[in-house]
Amino acid sequence: MTRYLTGRIGQAVLVLWAAFTVTFVLLQALPGDSIMIKFENPELGLSPAQILEVRARYGIDEPAVLQYIHTLMGFLAGDFGYSIETGTPVLQRLAEGLPETAKLAAGGFLLAVVLAVTIAFVSSYTRFAWIRGVLLAVPSLFISIPTFWLGILLIQVFSFQLRLVPVIGGTEAQSLILPVLTLAVPISAPLAQVLCRSLDAVYTQPFVAVAQAKGASRQWILWRHVARNALVPTLTVAGLTFGELIAGSVITETVFGRNGIGRLTEQAVTAQDIPVMQAIVVLAAFVFVSVNLIVDLLYPVLDPRLAAKGRVAV
Amino acid sequence: MSHSSSTYRSSTSLRRRTALIAGAALAAIAMLSACASPAASGAGGAASETGDPVTGGTLTYLEYQPTTCLYAPGTGFYPNGGLLNQITDKLTYQNPETLEIEPWIADSWTVNDTATEYTFVIRDGVTFSDGTPLDAAAVAANFDAYGLGSEELKLPISEAINNYAGSTVVDEHTVTFSFTQPSPGFLQGTSVIQSGLVSPATLALPYEEQCQLKNIVGSGAFTVSSQVVDKEVDLVARDDYDWAPANSEHQGRAYLDEVKIIVTPEDSVRIGSLLSGQADYVRYVQAFDEASVEGAGFDLYAPQTRGVNNGLFLRPSNSILQDVDVRKALQAGTDTQEIVDTIFTKNYPRATSVLSSTALGYVDLSDQLTYDPDKANELLDAAGWKAGADGTREKDGAQLSLNVFVAGAQPLSKQTLELVAQQWTKIGVQLNVKPADSGTIAADIKDAEKTALNHSMVGRADQDVIKSQFHTENRDVILSNDAELDALLDALASEPDTDARNAKVADAQKYIIDQGYAIPFFEEPQVYGAANYVHGIGFEAVGRPSFYDVWLDKK
Repeated sequence: MTRYLTGRIGQAVLVLWAAFTVTFVLLQALPGDSIMIKFENPELGLSPAQILEVRARYGIDEPAVLQYIHTLMGFLAGDFGYSIETGTPVLQRLAEGLPETAKLAAGGFLLAVVLAVTIAFVSSYTRFAWIRGVLLAVPSLFISIPTFWLGILLIQVFSFQLRLVPVIGGTEAQSLILPVLTLAVPISAPLAQVLCRSLDAVYTQPFVAVAQAKGASRQWILWRHVARNALVPTLTVAGLTFGELIAGSVITETVFGRNGIGRLTEQAVTAQDIPVMQAIVVLAAFVFVSVNLIVDLLYPVLDPRLAAKGRVAV
Repeated sequence: MSHSSSTYRSSTSLRRRTALIAGAALAAIAMLSACASPAASGAGGAASETGDPVTGGTLTYLEYQPTTCLYAPGTGFYPNGGLLNQITDKLTYQNPETLEIEPWIADSWTVNDTATEYTFVIRDGVTFSDGTPLDAAAVAANFDAYGLGSEELKLPISEAINNYAGSTVVDEHTVTFSFTQPSPGFLQGTSVIQSGLVSPATLALPYEEQCQLKNIVGSGAFTVSSQVVDKEVDLVARDDYDWAPANSEHQGRAYLDEVKIIVTPEDSVRIGSLLSGQADYVRYVQAFDEASVEGAGFDLYAPQTRGVNNGLFLRPSNSILQDVDVRKALQAGTDTQEIVDTIFTKNYPRATSVLSSTALGYVDLSDQLTYDPDKANELLDAAGWKAGADGTREKDGAQLSLNVFVAGAQPLSKQTLELVAQQWTKIGVQLNVKPADSGTIAADIKDAEKTALNHSMVGRADQDVIKSQFHTENRDVILSNDAELDALLDALASEPDTDARNAKVADAQKYIIDQGYAIPFFEEPQVYGAANYVHGIGFEAVGRPSFYDVWLDKK
């Protein structure tokens, strides 16, 4: 197990380094740069000569290899540099945004799981074919709703028309309700779909027939035998949805005016704020790698057969 | 860059869909709450009688964009200016009605005949919010930074101050500024947000630090009580504030106790929050939202920006546009009335010159800006551009095809440019409207071949504004290769006599239109919406809000 863990952590570090390097190269390849965007903004009214001077001061024109080494050393030392757009340290901006996004993402993920489990279990347990039909259509509907549109729709209906939740100046909890719902809907869709499918697949297994023959109740079969076996593929998908959580938070936070990592991403991309973008990509890669590691470690807990092999299958 | 357009489409279609869903829900709710009066209609009925101003209350103000760097000379950006205008005072006050310069932190001033030396007498008893006195030395330190910049602190020079040589502190209340050349625009330059006075402690910080709100200490009627970066800034009134401009509506502290400035980038959320009573006052009501705001009984405010009109600027160094006849043809082939009528509202008056009719030194050139597609076609025929196979004119194998970037900062830029492109197809010209990220724009906008035209405007209530837009040492939107234009602009920027200066501004406007360097579209306003229990709403000369006189009559 220890050897497995060290191997996986080594892999994770490699992935992080690769993400860092690819991002660096891509950001260098973009036309223009953040200094150009910021200081050639006509609002500043700087003359071309003054802009050249500013560029020299920031050392933006030094060779890319040197910049790469400087940036990498900085990252290793935990120094992510300064946001060019606002002049604040990148670390500070991440630290400000991360708790906001964490709350949103955790809430959105939990609600998505609740939605998915409800849809899947009710549809599989119900004796009415029409309920099942309706419920099985829900994930397709959810996945096709654009997050942007859903967010505005929820605000219009629940905040502006029904006046149930304020979007401006509410409490912390109030301000989370609609964004969490917005984020949860599209994420619940793939979870529900995979869970429905695997429940169906497990029901056709011979051991279920055996359990039925022994006189087990429907409930007992669903919870004891089917659910547990159906969870493994769902867990894999759940790990992958973290990517969607990050993507979804960009839109959700912009629509709801929340100042999290998603909003920071949107602003950094608009202003081509390279230090911020670089840090966000590495952060996202880090979260992804960690979640996948956790998911891998959870497999043997759910399925003892995997643990028995002594080595975890991926 | 295409943000505004996609927002436009989705929010209008959304409104229809929302109306259907919400309509059903509302029918049920209406029965339950027939006696409760919704805030929107309540707000609609209160304006008939305005009582005496009331002190107290919190104003919720929604801003379209987050602030960027708050170093004063770079705060022309409206979100920055709207915030700094509340926390900094200026040396002089430009009356937004008359555009006259009036006393503020300076009690009085004298200017020598050649406008190379200005002496200001500073008001007694003014302090920054950190307790340091705002005296002659502090004023000198501010203008030394803004006029000279600083290598060491990486401070850029202010666009509002030309030819600055240095300052002399005569005594505690008197400061003299000198200039290398006549600088008649300086007096107005002391009244703009870009010349907001900050504490010497702020000025000692490097540029990056001066960008940040927490480091900005002013003498304004409000101070910052808390900030969540990119989301919210809370301001509180300064109790000991007693140095408003003499002609202000009132003296003493601001009426409001508190102002919450909340960034709400999504148009439909900003307008919906206002209409549903969650916010009191919002900036940036898009032209397509004006009717719904007014229709719900709310007030629209559309102060003018009084500078170079919103329009297209044509670059003579582009290989196609180097021919003045081609530029003149594009001018004649653009129907600005159609732009104003189809995309905008009455708050966006059609342009009649390079400058807005509310700008200083404006002359009416509407005779030369009439829509005349026949003349355009004749000019292009004469210039050797013949109709090609696909309708686009050709000459020597090259198509009459020009590129322009969608300007994210301009209202409905994409829609405006697309309409122009449509108009130009009638004269055989292809206009490629390119939405792009800010990096591509920054890289290509300085290349006249890649970017033949520029869509922009600039607001400042001084004759110098035309120089800001066109001079090779300022914004240089046309990437000018015209020494004669620079000479005209230099002349107006250094003419001390006002009448003579206005005459030179008129010359510059005529020259720019004659040369076909500009196709002015409309006189750009800043449009705000407010509930009508919000009284005393005021703006500085180019449409940035001032909360000092604002009071709430919220029942």
